[in-house]
Amino acid sequence: MTSPRESPAPATPTFRKTLIRVMAVQVGAVLLLWLLQSHYTP
Amino acid sequence: MHALDWIIVVVYLAYVGIDGIRRTRRSTEIEGYLLANRSLPWWAVGLSVMATQLSAVTMIGTTAQGATDGLRFIQFYFGLPLAMVIIGVTLVPFLHGAKVYTAYEYLERRFDAKTRSLTAFLFLISRGMSCGTILAAPGVVFASVFGWPIGLTVAIMGAPTVLYTVMGGVQAVTWADVKQMVLVVTAIAAVITVALLKLPVSPDDALRIAGSVGRLRALDFHFDLTQQYTFWSGVIGGTFLMMSYFGTDQSQVQRFLTAKSVDEARSSLLISAYWKIPLQAAVLLVGVLVFVFYLFEKPPMLFNPAHDRRAREAEPARYQALAAQYGAALADRDAAARGIAAHDAAATRDAFRAAETRVEGVRTEALALAERVTGEPSKDVNYIIPHFVLFDLPVGLTGIFIAAVMAAAMSAVAAELNSLATASVIDFYRRWVRPVAPDAEYLRASKVATALWGIFACVIATYAVSLGSLIEVVNRFGSFFYGSILGVFLLAMIPKARALGAFVGLIAGMLAVGAVNFGRPDVAFLWHNVIGAVTVVVVGLAISSLSRRAVVASR
Repeated sequence: MTSPRESPAPATPTFRKTLIRVMAVQVGAVLLLWLLQSHYTP
Repeated sequence: MHALDWIIVVVYLAYVGIDGIRRTRRSTEIEGYLLANRSLPWWAVGLSVMATQLSAVTMIGTTAQGATDGLRFIQFYFGLPLAMVIIGVTLVPFLHGAKVYTAYEYLERRFDAKTRSLTAFLFLISRGMSCGTILAAPGVVFASVFGWPIGLTVAIMGAPTVLYTVMGGVQAVTWADVKQMVLVVTAIAAVITVALLKLPVSPDDALRIAGSVGRLRALDFHFDLTQQYTFWSGVIGGTFLMMSYFGTDQSQVQRFLTAKSVDEARSSLLISAYWKIPLQAAVLLVGVLVFVFYLFEKPPMLFNPAHDRRAREAEPARYQALAAQYGAALADRDAAARGIAAHDAAATRDAFRAAETRVEGVRTEALALAERVTGEPSKDVNYIIPHFVLFDLPVGLTGIFIAAVMAAAMSAVAAELNSLATASVIDFYRRWVRPVAPDAEYLRASKVATALWGIFACVIATYAVSLGSLIEVVNRFGSFFYGSILGVFLLAMIPKARALGAFVGLIAGMLAVGAVNFGRPDVAFLWHNVIGAVTVVVVGLAISSLSRRAVVASR
C-alpha cells in the first residue's frame, strides 16, 4: 500500500492560469448558447 | 456513391492501416507498445483523447439528435471542462507520477489486489461489449444503406483497426487518432458550409425557422431529476460522469499516461476542456441545418432504405396512401417555412409548427407500417445523416464524410482494444499468471490480447442486432459502476481511507445505483454517477473508520 501523500507536484501557477482560462471560455460558450436560444426561440 | 467517393474511402482505410504498421518498429518492448515510453507530445495525446471519445455514434447519432431534438444534448457535456480541471489537479499527478500501466494497478498500490482486480474486471466486461457496439452502430447503418451484409461492413472497419492496433500498439493508435480527428473536424466544417450554401434562405432565416420549433433550445435551467438533459444534470451529473470516464477508465487514462510529463498530460486534457463543447455544438448544428435543409428539399418518408423498400413491397396500397399524405404535408411545411423567412410573426410560426406536426404524424404512421412489416424496431433517426451525405452532398465530400464516420469508429475502437489488452495483460496475466517473465513475453501476450479483443468486438458487432437485449443489459450494468469506480479513486486520495473501506464501498455504491435504477427508473442516468461516487466515499470512509477502531481495540 502507498500513501496518497506520495503524489508528485501540485498544480503549477501556469497550470492554474490555464484552468481559469478554460473556465472563462466555457462560461463564454454557455453565454453564446443562451444568446442563440433567447434570440431565435420565441 | 460516386467512384471518386469510393476511392477516397479506400485510400483512407489503406493509409491508416499502412501507417499503423510502419510504427511497429518503435514498439518493440512492452512500455513502448503500451505507453509509447511515455514520450508523446501533449497535443497528439490531447487529440487522441478527443478521438477516443468521438465515435461513429457521434457522427451519425448525435447529428441526427440535432436534426430531431435540437441543441439540448449539448448540456450533457457541461461538466466536462470542470471534470478536466479536477482530473488535472488530482488524478493525473497520482496516476502519471505512480508510473503505472493501468489506473487499476494504482489501486493495488493504494489499497489491495482484490479492489484492483474487481475494478479491472468491471472495465473489461463493459468496454469489451461497448467496443462491439461502437462498430455495430455504423455497421448496421452502412449495411442497410449499401445493401451489404453486416459482417462485411464490420470487417471493412474492424480489420484495418485490429491490424494497426496489434502491430503498432499505442503509438499507432495515437497517431491514427490525430489523423482521424483532423478528418472528422474537416468533414463537419465542410458539411456545415455546404448545408448553409445549399439552403434557399439566409443563415439568419434558417436559424429563425429552426428556433421556431425549439431546435435551438440549448439550455434548460429546471432542476428536475427525471429530465435527462438539463443544465444541472449536465453540470453536476456530467462532472461526475466525465471525471469517471476521463480519470478512471483505462481507455482514457492510457492516453494521458503516454504523455512526457504530468504537465503535458494535464495540457492534453485541456484540449478537450477547450474544444469539446464547441465541437459537439458544431456536430449538433449539422443536424439542425440538415433539418432546415429538408424543409425545402423533399426528404424520404422512411430514411432507412431497407425498411422503405420492404414496406412499399409488402403493403403497396397503404404505402402509397401515406406517401400522398406525406407529399401534401411536406408542401404545406415548405410554404410555412418560407412564410417565416418572408415575415416572421406569431401567425407564420404557428402555421409552420402545425405543418411540422402533420409531417411527423404521417411519418409516425409510416414507421408503424415498417415495424409491422419488418418485425424490427423502425426508429430511423440514425439514417437521416447518411441519407443527406449520400444524396445531397457534392461528390468528394460524400467520400470524406463516410471516411470520417469510419475514422471515428476506428479511432474509438482502436483505443479501446489497446486499453483492453493492457488491462488483460497487466492486471491479470502479469499480476496473477506470470508475475516474472521476459519483456518479450508480455509484448507477445499484449499483441495476442489485442487481436483476441478485436475478434471479440467484431463478432459482437456482427451479431449486435440479435444480441440487442444482452448488450442493453451490459450497458445498463455498466452504468451501475461508473460513478462507483470514481468513488474508489476519490477514496484513494483520502489518507484515512483503507482497503476494506474501498472494497465494501465499491460494492455498496453499485448496489445503491442498482436500487435507484430499479426503484426509481425515472431518475436520469447522469445522476447515477453522483449517487454511486458519493455512496462509495461515504461508506468507504465509514468502514475505514470502523476498521481502524477495531484494529486499535484489538491491540
